[in-house]
Amino acid sequence: MRIKPAPIISTFSALLCLCFASSAGAQSGADAVEFFETRVRPVLAENCFACHTSTKLGGLEMVSRSALIKGGNSGPAIQPGHPERSLLLKAVKHTHERLKMPPQGKLTDEQIGHISVWIRDGAVWPDAPATQAGDAFRITDEQRRFWSFQPVREHEPPKVRDEARATTPIDRFVLKRLEENGLEPAPPADKRMLLRRAYLDLIGLPPTPGQVRAFVEDDAPDAFANVVDDLLASPRYGERWGRYWLDVARYSDDKLNSTQMEPYPQAYRYRDWVIKAFNDDMPYDLFVKAQIAGDFLEGGKNANLVAGLAFYGLSPQFQDDRIDATGRGFLGLTVQCAQCHDHKFDPIPTEDYYALLGIFNSSKVDEFPLADEKTVAEYQKKTAEIAKEQKQLDEFLGTQARQLVEVLAGNTSSYLEAAWNVLGPLRRSVPEVAHEFLLDEETLERWARYLGHSPRDHPLLDRFDEFLTDSSPGNLRPWAAEMETLALDVLREKRRIDKENEIRLGGEDSSRVRNEVELLSLERDRHFLWRDLGSAQAFTAPVGFDHGVLYYAGAEIDRFLPAAWRQHADRLRAKIEGLQKTLPEKYPFLHVVHDKEDPKNEHVHIRGSKDNLGAEVPRRFLSILGGREFKTGSGRLDLAEAIAGPDNPLTARVMVNRVWLHHFGRGIVNTPSNFGRMGEKPSHPKLLDYLAARFVRNGWSIKAMHREIMMSDAYARSSESVGKNEGVDPDNRLFWRANRRRLDVEALRDSLLQVSGNLELSGGGEPTLVSDPANRRRTVYSYVSRRKLDKSLGLFDFPNPNRTSPQRIGTNTPLQGLFFLNSEFVMRQAERLSDRLIDEAGRDDAARIRRAYWLVYGRPPKKEELVMGHEFLRGGAGAWPSFAQALLSSNEFLYIQ
Amino acid sequence: MPLPPGTISRRDMLRTVGTGLGAVGLARTLAAGTSSPNPLAVREPHFPAKAKHVIHLFLNGGASQVDSFDYKPLLDKYNGKPYPGGNLKTERKTGALMRSPFEFKEFGESGLKISEIFSNLGTCADDLCIVKSMYTDLPFHEPSLFMLNCGHRVAGHPSMGAWLTYGLGTENQDLPGYIVMCPGLPVIGPQLWSSAFLPGSFQGAYVRNDEEDPEKLVSYVRNPRLRPEQQARQLELLGKLNRRHLGQQGHAPELEATIHSMEVAFRMQVEALDAFDVRNESAKTRERYGDGDFARGCLIARRLVERGVRMVQVYYGNMQPWDTHQDIQRMRQLTADSDAPMAALIQDLKASGLLDETIVLISGEFGRTPTVEVSGRISVQNGRDHNSHGFSAVLAGGGFKGGLAYGNTDDFGFKAEENPVHPHDLHATMLHLMGFDHTRLTYRHSGRDYRLTDVEGKVVEALLA
Repeated sequence: MRIKPAPIISTFSALLCLCFASSAGAQSGADAVEFFETRVRPVLAENCFACHTSTKLGGLEMVSRSALIKGGNSGPAIQPGHPERSLLLKAVKHTHERLKMPPQGKLTDEQIGHISVWIRDGAVWPDAPATQAGDAFRITDEQRRFWSFQPVREHEPPKVRDEARATTPIDRFVLKRLEENGLEPAPPADKRMLLRRAYLDLIGLPPTPGQVRAFVEDDAPDAFANVVDDLLASPRYGERWGRYWLDVARYSDDKLNSTQMEPYPQAYRYRDWVIKAFNDDMPYDLFVKAQIAGDFLEGGKNANLVAGLAFYGLSPQFQDDRIDATGRGFLGLTVQCAQCHDHKFDPIPTEDYYALLGIFNSSKVDEFPLADEKTVAEYQKKTAEIAKEQKQLDEFLGTQARQLVEVLAGNTSSYLEAAWNVLGPLRRSVPEVAHEFLLDEETLERWARYLGHSPRDHPLLDRFDEFLTDSSPGNLRPWAAEMETLALDVLREKRRIDKENEIRLGGEDSSRVRNEVELLSLERDRHFLWRDLGSAQAFTAPVGFDHGVLYYAGAEIDRFLPAAWRQHADRLRAKIEGLQKTLPEKYPFLHVVHDKEDPKNEHVHIRGSKDNLGAEVPRRFLSILGGREFKTGSGRLDLAEAIAGPDNPLTARVMVNRVWLHHFGRGIVNTPSNFGRMGEKPSHPKLLDYLAARFVRNGWSIKAMHREIMMSDAYARSSESVGKNEGVDPDNRLFWRANRRRLDVEALRDSLLQVSGNLELSGGGEPTLVSDPANRRRTVYSYVSRRKLDKSLGLFDFPNPNRTSPQRIGTNTPLQGLFFLNSEFVMRQAERLSDRLIDEAGRDDAARIRRAYWLVYGRPPKKEELVMGHEFLRGGAGAWPSFAQALLSSNEFLYIQ
Repeated sequence: MPLPPGTISRRDMLRTVGTGLGAVGLARTLAAGTSSPNPLAVREPHFPAKAKHVIHLFLNGGASQVDSFDYKPLLDKYNGKPYPGGNLKTERKTGALMRSPFEFKEFGESGLKISEIFSNLGTCADDLCIVKSMYTDLPFHEPSLFMLNCGHRVAGHPSMGAWLTYGLGTENQDLPGYIVMCPGLPVIGPQLWSSAFLPGSFQGAYVRNDEEDPEKLVSYVRNPRLRPEQQARQLELLGKLNRRHLGQQGHAPELEATIHSMEVAFRMQVEALDAFDVRNESAKTRERYGDGDFARGCLIARRLVERGVRMVQVYYGNMQPWDTHQDIQRMRQLTADSDAPMAALIQDLKASGLLDETIVLISGEFGRTPTVEVSGRISVQNGRDHNSHGFSAVLAGGGFKGGLAYGNTDDFGFKAEENPVHPHDLHATMLHLMGFDHTRLTYRHSGRDYRLTDVEGKVVEALLA
């Protein structure tokens, strides 16, 4: 068997352009019917129906003989009696130029033969009720029989031909498939390589030279088992594996705000909770339940369970994201596809989507204080008080400022003439002119700055510029008087409009109301005159002002206030300051969800439209998984129990597959968040079931799962190629060798820090920026932004926190090369490493080279490598850091073999 | 620009090594989820292409069509009267029809009617293909930005540039294939040029074009300590280390690929510094483009396409400057530093012949209402609200028909009526000119084949030259 890779630029849609017909009597005959039902229909059901029944991809609806005969763009799908002329047969035989079906892989010769015989004998297809548009969604038996919906069965590990190689049950399952396909397993990895792999896999850091030596010298049969146990017991383990879950949970330290950063202040408590849950080996079923309904477990008081609710509490703002994360994250199902229509491929009717939506719409984002009630109440009372006083102060000063604008505007003609004295031919100084005209000096200064620039956003004061060339203010005076009238008139009109608009807004001030209401405004030019003189807002044309020329904001206005007014303002300010001093830092809290008081069912949104509501759907579980109705509150607790319950065929399978994936670089199901029909089928279905059953039987212990997987020979193989295998299974789907994997960004950065002696192992708490040169903590503690992901995280394929990500994609780009060549970060680690070499190996070049190889690669240098090193180091000053940088940028360091 | 001493021979040396990549298909390695040899290597499209590059000049915020490319004489006549076409959903409350404060003139032999504030662009009229009947789904920035960039209304889908580099690779292996410039960040930000579920090599390389010095523009492009000859020596050592290692591994395409990209990175230090350095242009050229971040972006875009970069996107400015709710007169300022460089870019591409194989797209995420906004969100009523029902997009080059005004909105410019074109259709048409059947440029993710045009889109044949 040759294992086919999925096509990249697939001809998927175009391949499906077949059409169909109505009316043509089916031939009968019990034998023909039986042949169809036993040999042909199952093949079609398994391989074709997902796309070509209700979904009608390419217009082809394989529901009846007549439907197949009708034909379309590419001609009829079948010509009964003439298999060789039938498009269907050409497509499945891959003899057609374009159509090669099914896309997931060619049928066996035997299956093709049966289809051919069936067409030759007239393509008998017994009548059945045709599917009608508008029919209720019905889950077919074929759909129910789909592998991932079958109960998990604990298969006996199979017998294999080469019993000597069958060291663990896992190996029996893997070997069996290798033997079936004539594949030879690669030889075992050497001890150093295995140790490095185990370290990077479990804790994301390479072993130290001492750890390598100890393991290489330890000949005890359980040496590797002890290493695995030690690593699983290390707090570094949760920092590594917790992060993989955070990929699924689309963890982020901020919201996707369109215009600015908007951090979740205490998101990190969820990150730390996940890390701790992995370190504590919290049973996975409890881990799931805590994230869905931690507020219902143990009376809702156990913060260690409630903290999981941030899975939803930190969601991007939309509910469909919660449903997507629930479906793909826990169940490996793309429930979200059923938002606008019944799922095209899986038995998920659109009702199921709205059944779940009802649950999430009956829940709300909330805070769960980690402080006593008194502290919380006091804090909230104080912040409310401060807000109240602040509002009073702002209103008071605002009123004074607006009045002052009127007062100063009443002197406009004098200010204009004074400004002419400053800006015109006389070029007099502001203080001198202000003194002579009995004007406020600062206000004149502002007028002069304003009038001294152009262009303004309105033309109303443009004539001022013409007067500047006059030798006397004679011409200006009448115009200035007019402008004074205009300014006062504009201010008066603005007051009137504001009052009217206040009435129109009816005391409401939400942006929703503001969007909908029709308000009045000044005419454009008059508006800009008003803005320039009297507005509290900043503007930039003709020159930057923080607010209108005549507007005095905040403390600026103090010097205009009479004593009693001034005292009043000062009293308010002192009060606010006093309150702020006694305001403690905000108490710690968790981002969670809670039930709303009135849980409600949702209606189906027909075609996903809110304006087109269909039937009400009770809150319940997915139909294919039983469809049990949920009655407790929002239904989250029921949902949690249904997902983490022992009968759910998906939850355990999906999780053990995730664990396998991160150990092998490829899942048994290589679409780890899609166990539906459009996902990949398991390469080892029985192994997957075996692992899932073991997982549940071992109390959902993830650590036990690691142990079982890592003790297998399959895990311990080298990454070497075996020539004869390459032709059969080039992608190593059957795990005949280890996959070579580039370190992901966390392991990469952390390993660089560790090798250079810079890694700081203080865990938890507030996130730190990756870009901060002083940040030497593990990468899992970095600030993760939905709005603007850190440059170097993004460069090395950190998953997009706007989506649930089951798998890292390792890219390989020149920009990454630039990072190794030129980034301060890498160069700093190289310098620290070369300092460390002096500390640990002295001044002798050979000793230092040896130490460098041990630290970076976990092995001594070969003789030629020593020579190579010496040769390079003769390059003079700066050669050592440069040498260290080359080692740190090399493939042997960057890849897990 | 003079090359740093000692670089030339090193570059030549490097060109001769590290090219031993086997003909391992991108498809296989990507599908296997492993590192690929060179994901940006040039690939052939489905059929011979007219266009090879795209430059998208993004008037972010949403430019008003009735003040730019969609002349509506009736708007003058019925100024101040209610819009008779029914109650179309916009973001906010709008009132009566409002005339454009700008005059329209006929340009070129084709006589396209274009607003005076785009007079420079008008001189290119016979090369412009104006689609007057664009429409999109919702009158809000976020879904419309996502739609125009990524073909979906929500986050998490690859942008057009990511799709193009995924489908075609890029011609210059010493530069990223997809480059995005903005002096700050547009609304939403990097999600707009994300590769989403496509491999990260296809995401837009974001460059902040508010600096003139290219060393400040491109991340990690210059080594802060090592001289070029020192670095060349280091790279030689690294090459030896990697090849020794590779020799022990047998068949290991991913390791070969890493060696390759390290060598490309080394060359990029020279190439990128040169490509982004507009100081290398003549004073006369720089004068034609004018001053400002956007002008610099347009000029760099031209230099990048000349060097084989697949797609360049230039956002006019930080946030959403074209979002003229309050005062449509602001368009005069917005065009003061954008009209000339857009025209200069098209003229330069035409003069060098590159316009034949480069699609220039000028558009915002939607249009604006012909009615005046009167909502409580603004302080003066001289602007226009968001309009997803109708807007204009301007295309030039790459196989688009010049001197064409296609489709139309209603008499007042509100709603696309004649030959409406959705962004899906625009994408399908652009992909067509790039040599792709948009229904077949797909990527399997999470068990489904995704594409830029979702499940929609048709090629608008009438736009093709």
